[in-house]
Amino acid sequence: MSAGALERQIRPIYDALDTGSNKSAIVACNKLLKKNPKNELIKALKALALVRSQKVEESLVLCDEVLESKPTNEGVLTAMMHVLRGLGRHNDLVTMFEEAFKKQPSNEDLGIQTFLANVRAGNWKSAHLTATRMYKQFQEERYLYWSIISAVLQARDPTTPDNMRSILFKLAHRLITGSPTPSYVNAERFHLHLSILRELELWEEADKLLDSDVGKNICSTSLVCNEVRREIWHRQGRRQQEAERAEKLIVEKKDRNWLEFLAILDATLPAGASTGAEVEAQVSRARELFENVVKEDGAKDRSGHLALVDLEHRARTHGVTTDSARLTTSLKKYFEHFGSKACCFEDLKAYTGDRNGLEDFITVLDSVPDTFTNSAQLLTLINSYKLLRLSLPESEITFESELKRVANYTKHYFEALPLGDDLPATELQPADDLMLLAGNAYISLWKLTNDETHIFNAVHLLEFGVTKSKHCFLARLILIRIYRLLGSPSSALEHYRIMQIKQVQHDTLSHLLLSRASTFSLASTGDLTLSSECQEATQIYLSNSQETGEFVSRAFNVEKYSQIPEFLLFEDWLDNSLQRDLMKIEHLRMRLTHEPINSDIIDMELIELKFIFDRNHYDNRDFAIFPDYQPKIQPSLHEQTTLFGKSEGTGWLMTFLKLYIRAFQQASDLDDTVEEKLLIGDRPKQTANQGKRAPLKERLLEKNEEHLTELTADEKKLFEYATCLADWLEPYHDYTRPPPAVVLAEAARQTELKTGHPLKGIDTSPLNGLNGHKKDEEPPAIQDPPELLTTFFADIQERFKDALGRASVTELLHIATLAQEAFLLFVTETVRFKVSSVVKLNKLGALVASFKDVRAAGVSALKEISSELVKQSEYYGTTESRQSFVDSGSKAFEPKIDHDVVFTQTKKINDSRRKVLEGVGKGIARLATTYAT
Amino acid sequence: MSITRPFKATDMFKFNNINLDVWTETYGIGFYLSYLSRWPDMCVVEESPSGQLMGYVIAKSEGSGTDWHGHITALTISPPYRRLSLASRLCSFLALISSSTYKNFYIDLYVRCANTIAIGFYEREGYSVYRRVREYYGSLGVGRGGRDEEDAFDMRMPLQRDRERRSVRPGGRDIVVSAEEVS
Ligand SMILES: CC(C)(COP(=O)(O)OP(=O)(O)OC[C@H]1O[C@@H](n2cnc3c(N)ncnc32)[C@H](O)[C@@H]1OP(=O)(O)O)[C@@H](O)C(=O)NCCC(=O)NCCS
Repeated sequence: MSAGALERQIRPIYDALDTGSNKSAIVACNKLLKKNPKNELIKALKALALVRSQKVEESLVLCDEVLESKPTNEGVLTAMMHVLRGLGRHNDLVTMFEEAFKKQPSNEDLGIQTFLANVRAGNWKSAHLTATRMYKQFQEERYLYWSIISAVLQARDPTTPDNMRSILFKLAHRLITGSPTPSYVNAERFHLHLSILRELELWEEADKLLDSDVGKNICSTSLVCNEVRREIWHRQGRRQQEAERAEKLIVEKKDRNWLEFLAILDATLPAGASTGAEVEAQVSRARELFENVVKEDGAKDRSGHLALVDLEHRARTHGVTTDSARLTTSLKKYFEHFGSKACCFEDLKAYTGDRNGLEDFITVLDSVPDTFTNSAQLLTLINSYKLLRLSLPESEITFESELKRVANYTKHYFEALPLGDDLPATELQPADDLMLLAGNAYISLWKLTNDETHIFNAVHLLEFGVTKSKHCFLARLILIRIYRLLGSPSSALEHYRIMQIKQVQHDTLSHLLLSRASTFSLASTGDLTLSSECQEATQIYLSNSQETGEFVSRAFNVEKYSQIPEFLLFEDWLDNSLQRDLMKIEHLRMRLTHEPINSDIIDMELIELKFIFDRNHYDNRDFAIFPDYQPKIQPSLHEQTTLFGKSEGTGWLMTFLKLYIRAFQQASDLDDTVEEKLLIGDRPKQTANQGKRAPLKERLLEKNEEHLTELTADEKKLFEYATCLADWLEPYHDYTRPPPAVVLAEAARQTELKTGHPLKGIDTSPLNGLNGHKKDEEPPAIQDPPELLTTFFADIQERFKDALGRASVTELLHIATLAQEAFLLFVTETVRFKVSSVVKLNKLGALVASFKDVRAAGVSALKEISSELVKQSEYYGTTESRQSFVDSGSKAFEPKIDHDVVFTQTKKINDSRRKVLEGVGKGIARLATTYAT
Repeated sequence: MSITRPFKATDMFKFNNINLDVWTETYGIGFYLSYLSRWPDMCVVEESPSGQLMGYVIAKSEGSGTDWHGHITALTISPPYRRLSLASRLCSFLALISSSTYKNFYIDLYVRCANTIAIGFYEREGYSVYRRVREYYGSLGVGRGGRDEEDAFDMRMPLQRDRERRSVRPGGRDIVVSAEEVS
């Protein structure tokens, strides 16, 4: 066939791939392969279509064939690039391009691809070498800069030993100073140059660049360069110079960038400044400057005012002045001018938490009139409320005083609503903050009394509020938290969905809904709502691994060097996000309640959890978003409304990872050597200290008390139970588990059945002899189940009974779902011994007999808990269950909020509670039955 | 009073207080990264002294010949920080970059015809309506705004380089084009 004809026949394959019709692409490839069995391009395209249809094993075979041929054809390389990326084999991708570039060293495009493949794999050293070679070969300056930033990135890479870092920075420095055209031809190269000088602390050279006209010019429009400049000056201790420069900008250019004010403040009173006449003189100089700004700006800009507040605050903390009169005066002045701006509270928060010495200012706040006829007066009142509340002393946070406050906020809220009558529906209402303040106070009342009536009232008010101010997301945030506290997950979900959390917000905000979501999960009854929310939120991590790297490449191509480290950082934070793996655990916990527990799920989860265990996590969760107006001396709104009062962090994650990894390791036949052989794709990079740490097995057993503090008391008990269970069964698992050779041979056999090709590099012969392998050693002596295990289920049943009628719905669900989890862990740890031939062969009959009692205890506890939950759920269908909440709500809000509305709202909450109690209850019974024997 | 600094990729973790807003879209990460990878100097945030983000602008430079212009893709300020001239400051900064670094002839932007506050704001900044683009946006679902919700105004402001002010014209509100004609 002519080349042209073949090309015409290949076209439809590309079209099929482009439109996602992988199946028809495979069919077309097969057809063409019959006539052209050696054609690399068709093979590569077929491999791609296979990867995209999740047929990994089959794709691997083709993929390896193509790689062996060391392709140089552009089409083949591109197709293979997608295949290898899909398989996570970035290192193979590098090798492929390197080989091709070696064969065709004058092919510039291959050079670029080789470089970028190294970048994607994080091989900075090879990237540097490739770029160096390219610069020599193609004489393009861009490649010189690529080699420079590669050296810089290698220096900053955590896997680089410390002693190498400065050598690499020096190399980068030598290269950049040797560049034929100076770095200042563009801001991005200049930025790179400055960053290198900063790392090496070559101040003189940096100053020369910065003081030159071009340098100054660049810094005046390039914010990134100006940022490094600031740091360079700062690190040199050139505070005075920086202050002079700032003063000039403030006075002459009317620059109001707060950084300029900070420059002066830092020069005047740096941290740890001493006192004395000289300092005092400096303070008054700064004061004078700021006062002039204030005179000039009036209410137009708040920089001068806030700078004065900050100056006096510093002066007081440094002991330059002892009386607070000046601070109070500056606060009063600020408030006078900006008390009617919404930002006032945020601005002054840092200075007013403590009333000491600020009595005069408090008096001003106290005397703000509580009548208003316009938004400005209203906002002033709101700001005074917020600031007063912030600085409340312990003695004033009592049931009576909070009750009075809440009534006051609410009253004014209703009075203020008409002020927003004419605003379009898209605008926030000026009265909103009063409802948020009331929400805070109600939560405080609930904390003081543990009486749910108060958070019911918060719900009534906030739900009313969001009908008046549809886009008041802050109210929804509080509502979501309260609904979870009340055990009304469907209402929480409703508000979460209205907020349209999407894209990267799934990482920062999904905690609202998904933190400890398994508590409310009905997956055991087949309702996968929460589990799918987890999956949907997880998409962002996929986009990150697919897209971010692409933009790193683009930034290289267009030489935006300042962005490259930032993109890499972003990628890393998102990839290793704490929330990602907290969600993973929740998803797993839900998964085990509705999928059959067998080796498929166990093996797959095990591999993933082990990856996660080695990660260094970043916490990107946004907790600052809550409208927190609680007194400074109290826990924040976020802390007060966290489920069970314990926020999960790395410690919680590590504990649950240990728990599940141990359970799955025991249950699985995949030991490390097997996994190593079967795993496709690159392993995560090891950081310098990771290389030195203890083996996984030891780390799983490490006790970490600090980690445990993030667990609730009941979760701690679960962990103890799981540890005890694993310790007990470990020797029997280790004895019974087939040897790696057998496991591998079996895997190879399965693959061959599926794909028609054997697994590469695996010997299948053990199958013939060792299948029913005989052991040389005797089985470990059978130990009775430890006491903690035999009593666990009776204890938790007792705990649950005790909590009935006393604890909240959420707490009951917590205990119940943990009991269920404990039972499923037992199931997981004993699946291996379900096969009677295995038990017989390994002489473990006595052990298996001893499972019976534990299992029976579990089943009986679960059944009991289940029926109690169902009983509880019935209660929440009754009038009695809502009467007091309806009465209290009506009393607090009628006639502003209609009795019917209060009634419906209360009923809705209780209906949701009824549903979750019933669902979880029935699900538990179902599982107890499924795994009863 | 705020800190004007470059928008960084990691700011995506911090912008919820700004983006939880009807007028502000949260795009895929590729969107922000594509702007940052090409026009990092046109992506700027305002940060409060306490480190909270207060608002940002994302813009680009495109077109050819005398149509070479800056384009504001997103400009938004977190509600409690509105009416403090922050948006105005971001706009001036952008005009400076657009003019001095990119040598653009003008800056333009699209805004929903229903977003009267933003339109008023831009007019005060020196922008004027160049034309009305029919069904430029998907429905916002915020009420009975009708046409105004889906239609956009294409607003423009001439820069120094457009000495004859060719990029603007009077009566733009009545010149209607379809969305296909502009994209
Ligand atoms: C439009 C928006 C960016 C303005 O931001 P801002 O920082 O509040 O604006 P500024 O303080 O710089 O306003 C400058 C001037 O615009 C006018 N203006 C701004 N907001 C106004 C409002 N809500 N009502 C009346 N006039 C307003 C005023 O004349 C104001 O000057 P003044 O405060 O001295 O009276 C802000 O409202 C916002 O983020 N909206 C949501 C996102 C959006 O719509 N973006 C535009 C679409 S791309």
